[in-house]
Amino acid sequence: MEHIVSAKNLSKSYTKGLYALDNISLQVDEGKVLVVMGPSGSGKSTLIRTFNGLEAFDAGELNILGIRIDASHDERRIRQIRKRVGMVFQQFNLFPHLSILENIVLAPVQVQKRLQTEAEEHAMYLLAQMGIATHANKYPSQLSGGEQQRVAIARALALKPELLLFDEPTSALDPERVNEVLDVMRNLAKQGMTMIVVTHEVGFAKEVGDQVLFLDSGKVIETSTPNVFFSNARHERSRKFLNQIENK
Amino acid sequence: MIKFTRNIKRTLSINLFNGLLTLAILLIIGLGFIFTLNWLIFSANWKVVTLNLPLYAFGSFPVDQRWRPALWIISLLSLSVITLIGPNRKWLRKSLPLAWIATLPLGIYLLSGGLGLPMVMSRHWGGLSLTILLTECSLLFALPLGIFLALGRQSELPLVKTLSSIYIDSMRAVPLIAVLFFGQLLIPLFLPIGVEIDRVWRAIFAFTLFVSAYIAEDIRGGLQAIPNTQIEAAATLGLNQFQITHFILIPQALRIALPALTNQAIGLFQNTSLMAILGLIELLGIGRSLLANPEFIGRYIEVYIWLASVYWLFCTFMAVLARHLEKRLAIQKTNI
Repeated sequence: MEHIVSAKNLSKSYTKGLYALDNISLQVDEGKVLVVMGPSGSGKSTLIRTFNGLEAFDAGELNILGIRIDASHDERRIRQIRKRVGMVFQQFNLFPHLSILENIVLAPVQVQKRLQTEAEEHAMYLLAQMGIATHANKYPSQLSGGEQQRVAIARALALKPELLLFDEPTSALDPERVNEVLDVMRNLAKQGMTMIVVTHEVGFAKEVGDQVLFLDSGKVIETSTPNVFFSNARHERSRKFLNQIENK
Repeated sequence: MIKFTRNIKRTLSINLFNGLLTLAILLIIGLGFIFTLNWLIFSANWKVVTLNLPLYAFGSFPVDQRWRPALWIISLLSLSVITLIGPNRKWLRKSLPLAWIATLPLGIYLLSGGLGLPMVMSRHWGGLSLTILLTECSLLFALPLGIFLALGRQSELPLVKTLSSIYIDSMRAVPLIAVLFFGQLLIPLFLPIGVEIDRVWRAIFAFTLFVSAYIAEDIRGGLQAIPNTQIEAAATLGLNQFQITHFILIPQALRIALPALTNQAIGLFQNTSLMAILGLIELLGIGRSLLANPEFIGRYIEVYIWLASVYWLFCTFMAVLARHLEKRLAIQKTNI
């Protein structure tokens, strides 16, 4: 079976000699959840952002859903990928001038050319699943962070993506609001959604992750199952990192 | 209120000198007020205004056709009232921008005639109706042009970027009156014989060219205030460059630029009075030609006070409309 995501020797440097991504290779199979962890500045965000072309890379090769991109950053292929891959950001990035419903419906209608009424129905179904259907006609600034992030997830799901990318989806939330977002993500994983998640949530990683990839200074330090990673990490650097988040 | 009285007490009661000073200033202001009022009511001769009200409104528009500009001005006023205090129905609010744009062709049709109405040459257009036409027309043309220039200046295509920048910078380096002279005196020289563009349209053309450069900079400010993450989020959803600009960037940039754009609109309304020295008989032009009439000779102060109040009234009105729009957009964000 072909991998949903496969990266081969990805490298990127902003300044010479200093690698944001250093020769990274990885695979994600259908229905699996890959959790990416690492200290800040380790290249987690850069890595996940290469998967839908928000970030270009200098060398190596990516294969997302059978679409190959390389260092030439071919715009047309990247748009093909973006139509099939959803992304959720740390700061939600909802469109403040559009209502919740308009936020969700915009891309299905404009990009996938679906009918307005059908797209709205689907949007309402997604909002109901997220437990925020009553907010459909409000504007993003009227919602709490957790609600906004669930809208962002619904917006990504509205395009019926085959892969979802999460870039620290709970890092900007109040601690009490973290779980309402994680619950939604747990459900998605249960339904068989393929996901790549950059996060510091150990509990979530243990419960939902199929693989944990640990990055430091742009290098893959280790890739293990959560069981191995959190109880018996193979690498000294991983253990040091885990100690630090536990002590927090 | 308590703070206010306390402040007054403090101002008046610190010592005798301050108290006297306050009293003296109040006396001077009061006297000035009384003298002005006295002049306004008893000394001034307002015949130059009252006898000529239709002239101020319509210029030398044929008397039996004056209902046409009158109808246009009334429709603009009623649309403003609907905008300000009209019912809050969704379909009504959504059709308002379109209704405003439609007032422009309506105005041009009513002023120039054709299609069943007798034609009226543009040299008979004048007064307030001409002032409003110049303002509205130039604004509606300058806004899209300004948006394109602002986008052009941010473009990644070097040629588009350079041309837009050169245009904006050079337009802003030239005084408005020079651009207007260019429109009135030079354009006819460049045109082949037989082709003639009407003076009113040449003025609108010049105003549009000038104002669009300033509008472009206001909108560029709005564009720069939008965080890059908005573009990323839109691109992630698969929207292409045009869709991102159309659905995400322009609406947000216009909102941010709204106060600055109001400034441009008010400035433009006042600047149309420059056309009085270039041969169009708009509001100020009517005043000047009335002053040249032997019957009203020497009534400068009356005429200029009257004109100042009309300009003041309309500019305030525009400001109120704009503030209303700002509030509505803010409500949309926080309260519905």
